Amino acid sequence: MSGWRLLVPALLLLLVVFVAPVGMLVPTSLRSYVPLVGITGGVTARNYVRLLTDSYYLEIIGRTLALGLGVTCATLIIGYPVAFFLARTRSRWRNWLTILVVFPLMLNLVVRTFGWIALLAQNGLVNQALQALGVVDGPVKLLFNFAGLMIGLTHIFLPFMVLVLIGAIQNIPRDVEDAARVLGASWGSAFLRVTLPLSAPGILSGSILVFVLTISALVTPRLLGGPTYQVMSTLIYDEFLQRLNWPAGSAQSLLLTAMVLVLIYLSGRLARRTGAAA
Amino acid sequence: MTAARLRTWLLRAWVALVFGFLMLPVVVIALASFSRTSYLTVPPKGLTLRWFAAVLADPEYVHAIVFSVLLALGATIGSLTAGVAASFALIRRRVAGGPAVAAFLNAPLVFPGVVVGVALLQFYALLHMNGTFVGLALAHMVITVPYVVRAVTASLQGADPELEHAARVLGASGPVAFFTVTLPLIRPGVAAGALFSFIVSFDNVPVSIFLLGAGQMTLPVKIFTAIEYGVDPSIAAISTMLIVLTGLGLAVAERWLGFHRFV
Repeated sequence: MSGWRLLVPALLLLLVVFVAPVGMLVPTSLRSYVPLVGITGGVTARNYVRLLTDSYYLEIIGRTLALGLGVTCATLIIGYPVAFFLARTRSRWRNWLTILVVFPLMLNLVVRTFGWIALLAQNGLVNQALQALGVVDGPVKLLFNFAGLMIGLTHIFLPFMVLVLIGAIQNIPRDVEDAARVLGASWGSAFLRVTLPLSAPGILSGSILVFVLTISALVTPRLLGGPTYQVMSTLIYDEFLQRLNWPAGSAQSLLLTAMVLVLIYLSGRLARRTGAAA
Repeated sequence: MTAARLRTWLLRAWVALVFGFLMLPVVVIALASFSRTSYLTVPPKGLTLRWFAAVLADPEYVHAIVFSVLLALGATIGSLTAGVAASFALIRRRVAGGPAVAAFLNAPLVFPGVVVGVALLQFYALLHMNGTFVGLALAHMVITVPYVVRAVTASLQGADPELEHAARVLGASGPVAFFTVTLPLIRPGVAAGALFSFIVSFDNVPVSIFLLGAGQMTLPVKIFTAIEYGVDPSIAAISTMLIVLTGLGLAVAERWLGFHRFV
């Protein structure tokens, strides 16, 4: 069979069940919704104007981006040493340790988030520990706010960052680092001036991946943030299932999609400019 | 070389801490599921298996488990068929524009799941496909195909095309050569892709939650809504079962396939 005929099922699936439905959000986003009446005819940019000017929406958009940035930095700082260790260790347990990083990734997302509810609640384990250690006097609020979402999302997306970085660090020939050491560089400057720059493509693609996944996440922000502490995806969820305002929800969906696509496009350009294959 | 040894130990300590952080919620859930109390508490007070019995006796949970397994099987069979064919075209046939096609097939990996969910909610409403099993399975195929393509293309790149040529020269037809020579060679990749596909479908919430019809319920959506109503140890019990099953599945996959190569 020719190559294109073999591609037909997969391409047809994506065009019909992915591209067409997402494309059909565009006309919906240009309609207006009247409570108790429904979606009315006529074309309007109102949904976009409100989304980009109303302070309620701007706060949610800002919070979503702040979470994306925060989680990306946290997973990078926490994950880099782990990836470095797993990429360089000669331990015979290495493959099993890698699987241990994969395990949380394969475990049901709702289950993992549920664990954090138990940990972060008012009388949860984290608060018990903090009070027992005398760090705080009363319970600290760790659910339904930025801190809770940061902790939960960092945990959820850390494995992605580690796995991408392992691949990048493994691709760096050890000789390059050894050469720097032989030529008199200290371990620190060899790391900062050789290893770290050479792992930049991995840092870039890992960061973009985690950022994109964080701003798209629904389950964890919903369960740890509740119905009041909203991010973009929980806003879309409520717009479609609670308020039934599909036009506004479509506009929000397309804005989120645009943010993701722009980020991926920019990272691709950045990777090409620096001559690194991300 | 004391500085080097100090570095090594600091690195190991950091790695141990991070692994502890990764496993923390898992351990907490497992412990909480054995508590005798009707509220969630860690460490557990007393020891009981009654929450496990409660979950397995609850027809809603049993129905959700069966439905999720059937849906994941359907999506996996579908995405394996489409994904293996596409991978073969991309690697062996070297179709024009291959890299662009591969990028397109991978797009759902980074696309917001919630957007796919709401887009299909509207699309299926127009087609009167809301609440159909086929509609749900097709939606799950969109998000599982990329995993199959990734694992299978990796396997195909490592398999020698000359073996298939040899079979063709010796008179085997194209399909016979594929099914008797190439497919056995790439079996680890196909198995890894199938496992990924099953797990991704079985775990999905953002797409399923918008598309489930009356009388339909998947396990993760059931747990998700149960948590929104209030947490209790039966949620910890079903979670513990998933933890054990996932752990066993992954251990088997690592032993048989060297699963770490495909992530």
